[in-house]
Amino acid sequence: MRNYTPLVTLLLIYAVMIAIGQGIQGMWQPIMLVIFYIAVGQALNIFLGMTGYVNFGYVALLGVGAYGMAVALGYYTDLGLIPALTLGFILAILLAFIVSMVVGGIALRLRGAYFAIATIGVNEGIKYLILGGKIWGGSSGIVLSGILRKAYGAETMRFLSTVFADAGLIVVAILSGVITMYILNSRLGYGLIALREDEDAAKVMGINVRRYKQIAFVISCILAGLIGATAWTLKLTYVFPQDVFAINYTVEAIVIVMLGGAGTLLGPVVGGLIYALLKYYLTIAFPGMQLLILAPLLIIVILLFPEGVVGYLAKAARGTRFEKFVR
Amino acid sequence: MAFVEQLISNLLYGAILGSVYGLATMGLSLIFGVLRIVNVGHGAFIMVGAFIAYWMFILYGIPPLISLFLAIAVGMAIGLAIYMLVVKRLVDAPELASLLAMFAIGIFIEEFAKQIWGADYVGYSWEIGGVSMLFTEVPFTKLLAFASSIVIAAVVYVWFRKTKIGKAVRAVVEDREGATTCGIDVSRIYALSFSLGIGLTVLSGVLVTLFTPVGINVYMGGEYTLKAFVIAVLGGLASPWGAFYAGFIFGLIENGSYTLLGLIPGVEPFGLTRFLSSVVLMLVLLVKPTGLLGGE
Repeated sequence: MRNYTPLVTLLLIYAVMIAIGQGIQGMWQPIMLVIFYIAVGQALNIFLGMTGYVNFGYVALLGVGAYGMAVALGYYTDLGLIPALTLGFILAILLAFIVSMVVGGIALRLRGAYFAIATIGVNEGIKYLILGGKIWGGSSGIVLSGILRKAYGAETMRFLSTVFADAGLIVVAILSGVITMYILNSRLGYGLIALREDEDAAKVMGINVRRYKQIAFVISCILAGLIGATAWTLKLTYVFPQDVFAINYTVEAIVIVMLGGAGTLLGPVVGGLIYALLKYYLTIAFPGMQLLILAPLLIIVILLFPEGVVGYLAKAARGTRFEKFVR
Repeated sequence: MAFVEQLISNLLYGAILGSVYGLATMGLSLIFGVLRIVNVGHGAFIMVGAFIAYWMFILYGIPPLISLFLAIAVGMAIGLAIYMLVVKRLVDAPELASLLAMFAIGIFIEEFAKQIWGADYVGYSWEIGGVSMLFTEVPFTKLLAFASSIVIAAVVYVWFRKTKIGKAVRAVVEDREGATTCGIDVSRIYALSFSLGIGLTVLSGVLVTLFTPVGINVYMGGEYTLKAFVIAVLGGLASPWGAFYAGFIFGLIENGSYTLLGLIPGVEPFGLTRFLSSVVLMLVLLVKPTGLLGGE
């Protein structure tokens, strides 16, 4: 039975967040942080949540997406603003697509733990390829602010790095949610959930598990690439390999998915909200100690609430009139 | 031929370093073999060992070879605590849960260590002279690390082969239910194997410091996690002995390729060898997921 009503809840949450961010002085920054983490969780959830496979190289996809945009804006400035931006999005998608096809093509032949092991090297591998091969500026990265100001003027640059970047990220975040909902309602989603529960049984039932996993992996990776392009390159106007391949984003994304509830639509939203607000205020209260607090939190969630908040709520709502709105 | 001399001395160095790599991976393979749990936080335990060596040397002047005993004791205690608190509940849980839990434990240890020891790079130097071999001078400290790795691996081997409890561990690896039927307390074997696995890993961290004069840092583990997985996969993942031999192979590949990559102008060979490690990992998994050495 197709049920798209949880999207109502999703869009409502975004509307409230944007209203709070725009209406209350000083709230836009924390709200954008929340939306960034929701997007990061939502994109990872499409793969990790639906298949039960862990992608330890997740942040590398945000990284290549960020590089795709930075290369277009930094090296093809002569094209003019709109073509360069378009090229940036195309490159971000293309790079994420290539990396996910190569990594997925090799690693998805493997099951469970072996897949996770194969992805451990992906992030380090790409980072050190850029650093060691001195590609795209090597360790000095790509700094765009000067280039953009010179080519398009300070006003346009400010517009790009504030309004455009934020709007782009919100679009990507909502798009990830809509895609998640679509997958949950489609043949693909049923197949993925079947293979998450029992891969051999799913295979016997005629599900092409390799192909299904690959599709989920590529979608998740491309969305991650778009997040990198908007939330990092456009917003910060610089890209450094040490920053965009920082493993803590992989950890954060996993925490968000697990906290909210893997394989649900609203899980990453709830997880992202809790996580980002926690992080925002923890950073103020205990600078530099977020990971120290998060790691035990993740362990506790795994041990005590393996279904996450939304998994728990969905169970509680079953049979009530809210049932259709939670998933 | 300066290049050939350099290559040979680098390969020699690679074999010496490889023995330590092998030892550093045995714990990972032991834990996977017995509990089917992948210790994704592996590198953090190597870091703990490195800091034990550093502090014992700096504070009390105790040479690293003596610290080895302390390291295995501390490591086994940490391992037992983690088993009791977390891993025990996850042995039969889905892979996702144990993978993420080990990942979180590794991060927790790193962050905890950062609160105590700070984020700076530290190091010590233990000068006891060296010996000239082939084209290069090899310090005694590295030879000692080489010898201790082999001795420790041999002790573990004998323990597995000859003692009753070692046999029980192998029985559990072979067949969990069968071992239970034969009266083996499987949960005790789990606790022992996990704690020994962590103990060996922490211990290998002490030997690692003999190769990285100023490379001791709370985040040093990430590099070794990646290397350990390449080695473990080369060795068949579930076999500590396979891992030990694969360590040598990896040491040779790494140091050999470093020399060769240094010939390419305009690149930074150190970074590229790390890129190469992840490529090797992928390729081995692609070609022969059961490991080049095919397990035991």
